[in-house]
Amino acid sequence: MLKSLTRALGVATRISTSTAASSTRVLEPLLRPAVGAPSSATARPFTRSIWMLCSSGSSSEHRPGLLSSSRGIPSVSCGCGGLHTEGDKAFAEFLSDEIKEEKKIKKHTALPKMSGGWELELTGTEAKLTRKIAGEVVSVTFNINNSIPPTFDEEPEQGQKPSENEPEIVSTPNFVVEVAKQASNQSLVFDCHYPEDEVGHGEGEEESDIFAVREVSFQPTGEKEWKDTSYTLSTDSLDWALYDHLMDFLADRGVDNTFADELMELSTALEHQEYIKFLEDLSGFVKCQ
Amino acid sequence: MSFVLRNLQGVVPLRRAKLRREVETLRQILGIQRFDLGLICVDNQRIQHINKTYRHKDTPTDVLSFPFYEDLKAGELPSQLDRDECNLGDIFLGVEYLLRQCNEEGWDFHSALTVVTAHGICHLLGYRHETEEEWKQMFQKESFILHEFNKRTGCHLEPLTKEYNSEK
Repeated sequence: MLKSLTRALGVATRISTSTAASSTRVLEPLLRPAVGAPSSATARPFTRSIWMLCSSGSSSEHRPGLLSSSRGIPSVSCGCGGLHTEGDKAFAEFLSDEIKEEKKIKKHTALPKMSGGWELELTGTEAKLTRKIAGEVVSVTFNINNSIPPTFDEEPEQGQKPSENEPEIVSTPNFVVEVAKQASNQSLVFDCHYPEDEVGHGEGEEESDIFAVREVSFQPTGEKEWKDTSYTLSTDSLDWALYDHLMDFLADRGVDNTFADELMELSTALEHQEYIKFLEDLSGFVKCQ
Repeated sequence: MSFVLRNLQGVVPLRRAKLRREVETLRQILGIQRFDLGLICVDNQRIQHINKTYRHKDTPTDVLSFPFYEDLKAGELPSQLDRDECNLGDIFLGVEYLLRQCNEEGWDFHSALTVVTAHGICHLLGYRHETEEEWKQMFQKESFILHEFNKRTGCHLEPLTKEYNSEK
């Protein structure tokens, strides 16, 4: 529930970042059906206009009822067998503008590199970073889906343009660190996250660590599924000294605050790249390309 | 009560467990284990922001203390009889600033962290150094704490500043 809300808010915010300048373009296609309709239709009663649009001209043999699926939808055929409406056309134009805007604000032409010799492997929205140190293999896995925390809109101050107030979209995914030793068939697995500060938001006075460990567990090496029967150490009520040793253990393996900052940058670039790709796929799907 | 350690920066690598162990030793020496204490490690940018906000000094620094009880007399612990909160306050360590200072002066960084933390705790306990007299009183306390620390750990720590500076 929370995840889907987060996603919805994240996407909503993102669209709002680029549509301010193109709001007239967004509205334009919506006006077209009226403009494009026969001039006589505007003088007719409203129900008649609906009938005209549904009957698409000459044939009156089949008059769809008001609950029919094609009610009020002006369709255009391209021979692909799919439905094409004026709404689809407006949607495709909106997407085209959105893609242009998103590409304009794209920060990286290639994904940013992680320092420290990490190798990146991508499977859809999941990323895996791997690093070998002596007899150990350290891997970090994260998924960019649901990785953008919601932003809370604040009223812009007087004299300040709204666009200047928009927070940057940053992807802060939960990530799992797995440390595998050659001599053991068990891996030590850390479930990590970026804490969200409740106080001092955006004021530079946050007091949480950049990243935190939520749970620690042993898992069979190489298994993708989390084994619930393994004891899981929650850090909620953990002795702080033990927690600090765990953090030092991770830092010795290259997972420290610098790593967490770089991972955030990588995840943000990856999320944005996937978002643009999704918009392009959506545009192609709507246009039947 | 608890001692909370936070590392909000990625500029300077820190050994959290070592720092915690040393701060716990300081707390034992001062007999303040029953009070909450926060130690927050930050970079130059953040400590400069805090310094500017609360002291109107737009420069980075090594340590800033925020006592929970601002009316303590130097050396007096908050009395638990009339105090609801067992909290001493928070210390912000400017670790980036401190590392640079250590490189310039040839000091050991982790030793300097302990010394500066001891300085910060003294502030939480009501010590000040606005006048020379206050500075002497605080210097004596810091010297005592570090002397005890050295006895327990075999280290050779001393207060970083050995002369009164009215601008500090």
